[in-house]
Amino acid sequence: MSDPYTLHTMDNGLRIVIERMPHVKSAAAGFLCKTGARDETPDLAGASHYLEHMCFKGSAKRDWREISVDFDKIGSTYNAFTGEDRTFYFGWVPIDRIESQIEILADMMRPSLPNEEFEMEKKVILEEIAMSKDSLDHVMFDFALERVFKDHPLGWPILGYDSTVEALTRDQLHAYYQTRYAADNLTLIVAGNVDPAQIIEMAEKYCGTWESNGGVAKRLPPAIQKGSANKVVERFNQQIVALCYAAPSGSDALNDTAEATASILGGSNSRFYWNIVQAGLSPSASAFRYDLTDCGLTILYGQTEPEGVDKLADALRKEAKAISESPVDEHEIQRVKNRRRTTLAVEGESPYHRLVQIMDDVNNVGDPRTVEQRLADVEAVTVDSVSDFLRQYPIDGEGFLVSVGPRDWPGTSSLNV
Amino acid sequence: MDSCTHKTPLTHKTLDCGIELGCIDLPDRHAVAMEFRFLTGTADEADGLFGVARMLQETIDLGTENFDGRGISDAFDEIGASHSGWVGREASGYSCLVLPEFVERAVELQAEFLRRPTFPAEKIEVSKELTRQEIHALDDDPQSLADKYIGRQAYGAVLGRHAMGELETVERITRDTIVEHYGKYYGAGRLVVTVAGNVRAEAFEAILEKQFSGFGEVRQSGREPYPITFDARRVHHMKEAEQQQIAIAFPGVSRTDPQYFAQRAMLAVLSGGMSSRLFTEVREKQGLVYWVSAWGENPRGDGMIFMGASTKPERCDLTYETLLREVDRVGEDLTVEELDRAVTGIVAKVETRGDITRARCGELADDLFQFGRYIGPEEKVAKIKAVTVDDIQKYLKEHPRDALSVVTLGPRVLEGAEVVSASESATGGQG
Repeated sequence: MSDPYTLHTMDNGLRIVIERMPHVKSAAAGFLCKTGARDETPDLAGASHYLEHMCFKGSAKRDWREISVDFDKIGSTYNAFTGEDRTFYFGWVPIDRIESQIEILADMMRPSLPNEEFEMEKKVILEEIAMSKDSLDHVMFDFALERVFKDHPLGWPILGYDSTVEALTRDQLHAYYQTRYAADNLTLIVAGNVDPAQIIEMAEKYCGTWESNGGVAKRLPPAIQKGSANKVVERFNQQIVALCYAAPSGSDALNDTAEATASILGGSNSRFYWNIVQAGLSPSASAFRYDLTDCGLTILYGQTEPEGVDKLADALRKEAKAISESPVDEHEIQRVKNRRRTTLAVEGESPYHRLVQIMDDVNNVGDPRTVEQRLADVEAVTVDSVSDFLRQYPIDGEGFLVSVGPRDWPGTSSLNV
Repeated sequence: MDSCTHKTPLTHKTLDCGIELGCIDLPDRHAVAMEFRFLTGTADEADGLFGVARMLQETIDLGTENFDGRGISDAFDEIGASHSGWVGREASGYSCLVLPEFVERAVELQAEFLRRPTFPAEKIEVSKELTRQEIHALDDDPQSLADKYIGRQAYGAVLGRHAMGELETVERITRDTIVEHYGKYYGAGRLVVTVAGNVRAEAFEAILEKQFSGFGEVRQSGREPYPITFDARRVHHMKEAEQQQIAIAFPGVSRTDPQYFAQRAMLAVLSGGMSSRLFTEVREKQGLVYWVSAWGENPRGDGMIFMGASTKPERCDLTYETLLREVDRVGEDLTVEELDRAVTGIVAKVETRGDITRARCGELADDLFQFGRYIGPEEKVAKIKAVTVDDIQKYLKEHPRDALSVVTLGPRVLEGAEVVSASESATGGQG
């Protein structure tokens, strides 16, 4: 199969990645900014996410109303999200509107940050934080990362804290923006039935005047802590327990092996499902990867009644020990590969899904992988590579145990709310 | 290449085995999506056994005449098929996504657990324990809890049941009650199979005939609407939380009503993209919420409009008033430009989702459920494009929101609402 990608870097440093999908009738475009919560100083916790909101609130050309009206006029499915190490803005449209889509997104990348909208959006973000506090999952995840990445920016919540968001000023956000949204820290990604030469022309037209700033400050990898901590939140009925272990980064050669191992342990038709869920210990027990460009975690997770949390934690540990001590079965690996083959075929149908996969690849490993390359990477996972991974990144020793819920368990380093 | 603007290669027929089949043949696709939808849901549950439909669905593939639960999951994994199930108010569905070369095997496996489940007693006991825990967990999710309460209040005792059931009804469910429910409601006469993707209709028909011949009651049933008992009250459920949940329901029109597309466009004006009225007026202009939405639901032969938002308790009354004001305002000052934008959004989503095989299968299944025939994107696009400002104003005039069912949940009572205690909340809060 011919290479479906066109890669191009403009004179100002803006990178362009295009995947041609001749079999579809739509196209998706997005701007990846390599900026997220880990790039913030403590007093700026939440700034990346705040900035993402503010990019919808006005530019030199449009006010907030005009931005949303113009998106809707072209029938776009659009949004943005902020992570620890990335912010992504995207829109998915019928093919004849891709230029308008790129123009609007490009305009947003040069926001005017109007004062009155800055104050209004603060209220919205404080509501978003309040909503997050009503979710047991969110409370657990924020608490776990805060403890595992102690004193490192990866430990702040992506939304920030009430106190930092309330204190943030428009000038602080503008200064942060100037350090992070230069042309050479942005990538335009397009997937769909498009002509790459035309896309590059559009990018020159709408982004050609942007300036670069010679690169952003280098990120420092975190030290991953071991130990345990819990947070007592009496208003919740259920208790969550999570065991967090150091794992390879999203750019590591072992990444697909780590993903496969998590799937064998805690995906569908997995060991957790048959030995923990179907033993009645938890309605939701899973294992998943948290992968960034320079570090990663394997998280073993479950939710249960407060009085059952000891048993659940023991069961998670027992499965982690079993997979560490005996090689996995070849059939278990094959099942993961078979499932992946189908999901990749389906994801390859949709420009939006391809856009997000390309964004993930560009952010983590620098270049996009085709559906076939992704499948080949999964096919390369073996019994031995799983054993190697578990030797290098053990999950049967001391990790970081976190629990959130009404019960003061395990009772070390507890924090009452 | 298939196109939304060209005639869809469709087969729709009732097979000898009793199954109603809909098939969209899309030869350029790399996958096949199928859904086995039984026309039975929580509305068919016997009194006192609420939750039985979902527990049946949860346990139906945990043991069959030829496989144990792990065996059937392994068999699906051998062909890389993803399969899942759901239970709704009126229907229960089993979806499967598979590569074209494994379609026959996938249907064989679907038939294996749908026709020959053994419902092992120990798996039923585990499912009961997990359901108890899930009911407790639902209480930790204020938005889902508000959805449960507004569903019960808007639809009434039959159609408003929550799929999980209640703690006391789950206790009463046994293997025998599940087997009885299965025998009564699972058969070819209630089964609608839809498939889309790289699949030939004739070959697929033959596979279904082979696998499902003689499956339960063949005579068609399950195609009548269920009664709705709309309860126009404002009820507050006390709950400690950071935010207050607001859920509002009022009657709408059915999918087959001539005014359905005016309603659909009105909902897009209210809550389509970010330029829609609710997002603009509630969030962007006043900063009252992060989440606000309006949507429609369509039980067969009927319709219900819902609005929802979450906000800090002290801003609940203002948010509630703004939500209602915006519905009224659509009838007063809707512009042609605003309607065009809303319609453009709906049409564009039809076009972009057309690239996704699963979406095509889902659309076909919904059409057969609502209309008994495939409507398809072309007809829907034409009808939504034909909606005018006058149509929406007429719709709003003829369907005024003069009867509201309102649920709030959180630490602060909405002005004028009656308060339901925690125990009443658990048992239905029906006064």
